[in-house]
Amino acid sequence: MIKVDHISKDFISPKKYPGLRGAVKGLFSSEKVVKTAVDDISFTIDTGEIVGYIGSNGAGKSTTIKMMTGILTPTRGECLVAGIDPSRHRKENAQNIGVVFGQRTQLWWDLPLSESFTILKEIYNVSDENYAERMEFLNRVLELPDFFDRPVRTLSLGQRMRADLGAALLHNPKVLYLDEPTIGLDLVVKDNIRKAIREINEKYQTTVILTTHDIGDIEELCSRIIIIDEGKKIYDGSLNDLKDKYGTKRKVSMEIKQPEKIKKLSLTEILGVKKEECDVEFDKEKNMLCVTFDKHKIQVPQVLTAVMDAVEVKDVQIQETELAEIVKEIYNHGVTA
Amino acid sequence: MRKSLRVYLPFASNELKRQLAYKGAFYLFILVNMFGAFINYYLWMAIYGSSDQAILGGLTRNEMIVYVFMSYVTSSVVSISIASTVSDDVVKGTVAMNLIKPIDYRLSLISQAVGNMIYRFLVPAVFIWTGVEIYKARALGLPIVSIWNILLYLLSCIMSFLIYVLFDFCFGMIAFFTTYIFGMQMIKNALLGFLTGQLIPISFFPEVMQRVFDFLPFSSMVYTPVMIYLGKYSGEKLGFMLCRQAVWIILLYGAGSLIWKKVTKKLVVLGG
Repeated sequence: MIKVDHISKDFISPKKYPGLRGAVKGLFSSEKVVKTAVDDISFTIDTGEIVGYIGSNGAGKSTTIKMMTGILTPTRGECLVAGIDPSRHRKENAQNIGVVFGQRTQLWWDLPLSESFTILKEIYNVSDENYAERMEFLNRVLELPDFFDRPVRTLSLGQRMRADLGAALLHNPKVLYLDEPTIGLDLVVKDNIRKAIREINEKYQTTVILTTHDIGDIEELCSRIIIIDEGKKIYDGSLNDLKDKYGTKRKVSMEIKQPEKIKKLSLTEILGVKKEECDVEFDKEKNMLCVTFDKHKIQVPQVLTAVMDAVEVKDVQIQETELAEIVKEIYNHGVTA
Repeated sequence: MRKSLRVYLPFASNELKRQLAYKGAFYLFILVNMFGAFINYYLWMAIYGSSDQAILGGLTRNEMIVYVFMSYVTSSVVSISIASTVSDDVVKGTVAMNLIKPIDYRLSLISQAVGNMIYRFLVPAVFIWTGVEIYKARALGLPIVSIWNILLYLLSCIMSFLIYVLFDFCFGMIAFFTTYIFGMQMIKNALLGFLTGQLIPISFFPEVMQRVFDFLPFSSMVYTPVMIYLGKYSGEKLGFMLCRQAVWIILLYGAGSLIWKKVTKKLVVLGG
């Protein structure tokens, strides 16, 4: 459905110098600074996939999305959306796509929501039957009737986001781009939006590309994620693979009855591993023993038996590394293979 | 054609509704418009009063009265700024929201301007216009303008409107390079006041300047329709003036398309 082929985007801006002297100097210099926002990215996305496109702030996510929607022309490379080059045939491409920019609205600010939908119906040339069918579906999933007759500027953020999502879906687009669709929303609304996206994807086989900073969005929606950093693609694969590969840390917390015995216990010796491979911490106030280790090196039962042989254990908790942690790690250090 | 009408018509009707939604601005607009027209009126009356010639710049005192008010009517209907919308769209980044739809950006802007034009025509323009005609017949004892002249005037006005918006679109494209064009808008408005004949009839300028103005689109924006309304053109001259307007529409349309193509190639969308 979408084919992105070695796409790059450079932004050229005049060079700025610091201070007042710099400002004056800037008037006379014609030096330019080239910033590569997106650097040689390629991927393909199939029909019906929901792909999470993530990266830290300023990584180039929105720029890529803008190139795929035809708003920006790539400096190098090419992309095809449903067989159309968006930058060359913007209007044809626009008929195939729906876009929601979380921080903006495509609705008419001063008019009732219903008017916006009527205009969009004409713009996308939606027939009366399709419109009725669509509206019925959208009303059910997004609960639009509550505020359908109110001017858009009076809507709350959650209502506006639902309205925007509805507006983007009115013409049954083949591809839906969502740029931070849950930004600034409360948990219940977030949940509703996610549910709606999933339902739309299932019912119409809509391909969805989602950029977000909300790990919950990714965990609940995306089967595949692409991570970019400083304009380069650094990961492309399934969510489970990512967790398998980078989320190898396990943390076992145990509440212990006899804290005095714990000092004598040397886990590294019992398990036969090096000190840095197994991190042991003991919280005296709560009587909690926390062991952090690599699941490929040590098995959870091994740790449990080792501890339980020595002391009496009241309670056990096992934690996987959370996706948020993995992503944070990747943003900080990049992917180390 | 019918399809594009269906697509772009809502832009016009929505702009009309939007304007009507802000009632305060609506009445203020009428007031401000009248105010400006009357200042100009008293100014010209003083000029005619202190002059020993009955005809200045080819216009009698009574014709000048009609000129002053009709040029206000015309320019308020015709000069609808697209550039400020473009600049707004660029500064706020909303231009992106227009580009993701399968519509022509310029056509949607022009359609919006049409809505605005209709609004301005219905609200201050028609009232001032009728007022002018009543005053003309009652106080000045002049014959009421003929239907034929009204029709020609309206035709010329529509072309003036197109010339203005197409020009303003090209002007608005500057916003894509400089982001902010408020200052330039001020300069533009000041210059247009002179060049279009809104403040001073073009016939008051020296011969040489008038020749130069012939090669600029501005006099076609206000001066031409008002002169047609006054019945100053007839026969060949009238045809020539209307043709000149039509040629400017074509030229500015082409220029706009060319600039737009260049701009979209190097477009930068701000924010997000």
